[in-house]
Amino acid sequence: MPDIKPLAKEDLVMEHLVSLTYSEHLTPNLNRFADALLDGRLVGHKCPSCGRVYLPGKGYCPICVIPTGEADEVEVQDRGIVTGFTIVTPVAYYGQTATEPFVFASVLLDGADGTIGGQDIVGVPHDQVHSGMRVRAVWLPKEERTADDITNRGWGGVSGGISAFEATGEPDASFDDFKEHIF
Amino acid sequence: MPATDIAIVGFAQTPSEREASASEVQLLVPTIAAALTAANLPRSEIGFTCAGSCDYLTGGPFAFVQNLEAAGAWPPISESHVEMDGAFALYEAWVRLQHGDIDTALVFGSGKSSPSNPAEVWAQQLDPYYLAPLGLDPVSLAGLQARALLDSGKATERDFAEVVANSRRAALDNPNAQLRGTPSIEELLAEPYVRNPLRRHDLPPISDGASAVVLARGDRARELTERPVWIRGFDHRIEAHQPGHRDITESTSTTLAARKAGYDGGPIDVVELSATFSPQELILRNALGLPKSTNVNPSGGALAANPIMSVGLVRIIEAASRISAGTANRALAHATGGQILQQNLVILLEGE
Amino acid sequence: MAERCAVVGVGQTKYSKRRDDLSIPGLLREAIDRALVDAELELSDIDAVVIGKAPDAFEGVVQPEIFLADALGATNKPLLRVHTAGSVGGSTFIVGAHLIESGIHERVLSVSWEKQSEGNAQWGLAGGRGRGIGAGGAFAPWIRAYIERSGAPEYIGWQVAVKDRLNALKNPYAHLHLPDITIEKVKESPVLWDPLHFLESCPSSDGACAVVLTNEAGGRAASKPAAWVAATAVRSELGQFPGRDTVRVRAGVECAHDVYRQAGITDPRRDIDVAELYVPFSWYEPMWLEGHDIAGPGEGWKMVDAGDTEMTGSFPVNPSGGVLSSNAIGASGMIRFAEAALQVRGLAGEHQIDGARTALAQAYGGAAQYFAMGVFRSEP
Repeated sequence: MPDIKPLAKEDLVMEHLVSLTYSEHLTPNLNRFADALLDGRLVGHKCPSCGRVYLPGKGYCPICVIPTGEADEVEVQDRGIVTGFTIVTPVAYYGQTATEPFVFASVLLDGADGTIGGQDIVGVPHDQVHSGMRVRAVWLPKEERTADDITNRGWGGVSGGISAFEATGEPDASFDDFKEHIF
Repeated sequence: MPATDIAIVGFAQTPSEREASASEVQLLVPTIAAALTAANLPRSEIGFTCAGSCDYLTGGPFAFVQNLEAAGAWPPISESHVEMDGAFALYEAWVRLQHGDIDTALVFGSGKSSPSNPAEVWAQQLDPYYLAPLGLDPVSLAGLQARALLDSGKATERDFAEVVANSRRAALDNPNAQLRGTPSIEELLAEPYVRNPLRRHDLPPISDGASAVVLARGDRARELTERPVWIRGFDHRIEAHQPGHRDITESTSTTLAARKAGYDGGPIDVVELSATFSPQELILRNALGLPKSTNVNPSGGALAANPIMSVGLVRIIEAASRISAGTANRALAHATGGQILQQNLVILLEGE
Repeated sequence: MAERCAVVGVGQTKYSKRRDDLSIPGLLREAIDRALVDAELELSDIDAVVIGKAPDAFEGVVQPEIFLADALGATNKPLLRVHTAGSVGGSTFIVGAHLIESGIHERVLSVSWEKQSEGNAQWGLAGGRGRGIGAGGAFAPWIRAYIERSGAPEYIGWQVAVKDRLNALKNPYAHLHLPDITIEKVKESPVLWDPLHFLESCPSSDGACAVVLTNEAGGRAASKPAAWVAATAVRSELGQFPGRDTVRVRAGVECAHDVYRQAGITDPRRDIDVAELYVPFSWYEPMWLEGHDIAGPGEGWKMVDAGDTEMTGSFPVNPSGGVLSSNAIGASGMIRFAEAALQVRGLAGEHQIDGARTALAQAYGGAAQYFAMGVFRSEP
């Protein structure tokens, strides 16, 4: 009789690591946003209908659903208010780069109506980070800035130019100043 | 019996491009607006919205969420999404309108194939246990279907070339098509194979595009447009996945879907088929029982422009536009899902 | 509605971190076969299949329903694939219900699933990039905002976490069975997304949930009690825009009011006997109680505090153990609808709420922007 062993669980698993590459040119408006970022400026779009300012400008206002473009560009300040945050303890997964707990904060920049998300807050212990903090951008040195992470689908944002935000030391903003911009 | 008084009252599509400089959402914003304008319908009056797209095509998990920004989702809307071609989103919206509590719906489909290699992406759609590990890619699969069709005696390579020549010529009249021309059969047959027996022109182009359709029911449809395009029948069916488990030289699900939609062969003014490889047009014509003289793919079809996830909805738009323009009164449109015609949708359209 | 919709069969898999005893088709069939047995029907009786799941990147197969057509019994039948992020299980149920209510089909199989052990959900949620925050990281700031706005004491979230896991002990299908869970253990578990503790968060599960839907004639003819669909609704809103209230989400409020109106519910707190709400992070229980106007503003946490949402309470929430005990992302919404249906059928076994005749099901997804809700009754 042939010696037939039942399959072990390991035999039933096949590793199938798939790599797919997506390479999309930045839209013209994001190209302009990226150029300004490399230059140390934050340029958003102001909707010609409702007047809301978005950073980056996506090429449309999602509320009015009308196109926005170069003619709607406005500069946004590199300082503002922390409107919401959490402290993330990293977990391991393929592609993970974080090793230490980090702040994930939404910041409402002066001059903008939409927040920028996923910002790190530095210079204060994590347990002192709070909504309402006034912060300013910590810019990367010009030669270290990059637009490589920016994509048409919303990734990247300002992170190629600004590594984090730090407290300005000003008094906190009142809740009324940012209650409509938690996210 | 499903209602037969639901009509297409407005539609729009982007010109298909090899690489759009606009993002997928930027393609959708003006397209949806144009469809609503064509329907004389303010966005706020839409009762239900349904989108069709594919995350893996757009390039990431939850990619479809961003397309919501083109739908006008503030204030909140009644809305859903299928991970399928916009034609299937149209089906879901048509089903939703059967209830009678709302009488308008907005549907859209979109996709940019340019950022990725479609032959790699769609290879991941195959059975992960038995087919994907073989490295079977979509073009080779289509090649196998073409070879089977030749071997069955149902078609010749010349027939393939004729489909292509017709497509290129018809596309001359379609400002939204991508590939146009007047190649001769001999010129086409002289080209080398890329996947024997398929030549490069037997394959679809890589396309970026978006499209949108507005539906309305009954009297509402008549209020919104002079020539509503009535959906008289609508059905879709899927077959077995393994190529060896079905006859890939036929399309039984297309025959079945057409029959359920109320078409059983015979004269029809216009037919738009989502045949992405030239042999598939022959298979589909046969499956539908179309008379030889039928006007098939006057738009140039999917060989002239293949904005995946929108291409099926575009076929419906192309058929509807001819009824709307008064040059046709009865039309069929077809959409497909999966590969080598595994899943097929048929819609039967009629003027008043 | 031209036709009524009845749930006559429910089937669930055992949810666990890794169902490595089954392939993807096998996982689906475990749920589907159980639903068919419950409905006393065969695959050949089914007219159409609706299937839903969350992003395909969680398993690494593009549109897996395409290869699953055979296993689903869908050959020569219509097959639709729904994808609305976390709410998908609910919207998949609703699309299936529409096919019945429209009169187009008589018996529909609706199934949702996820086999996320095949991929890596954290990678998927991070878009394949580093510094991923998972789902918890996205919701934590809004939870913090709720806590600050409502003045809720910190233990409310821990209380929900304990309640749902103890409820799950009465649900043999649930993933997490933590008989020793206590408030202290939840409080001491590591903080992954401040202020959420690990034990306040859902597990990552493999699983599938299937329902067999039929029309009024089929519902009345079934030998077991049917659950009657009294209402369904979906609402979506933009995920991010200036002025968005991410705590009291307008799409959630409007979706709830739509189902209440359809079902003739004027006082949800009183008219609903049991609710299965999508609570993947403990604080979403009080947030949804308020967000669906079951409790007034700032009163949701008080319901939790008073024990109202316990199985023995006046408004039981998630007697199944909820998403906190089992979270196969694509399936979780369907599980809410299936569990609500089981309650009004009187077939929820050990976690049955006595006398449940009206049940609310809710699923949400994306940036808390997609909602699918339903109301079930014991009578048509």
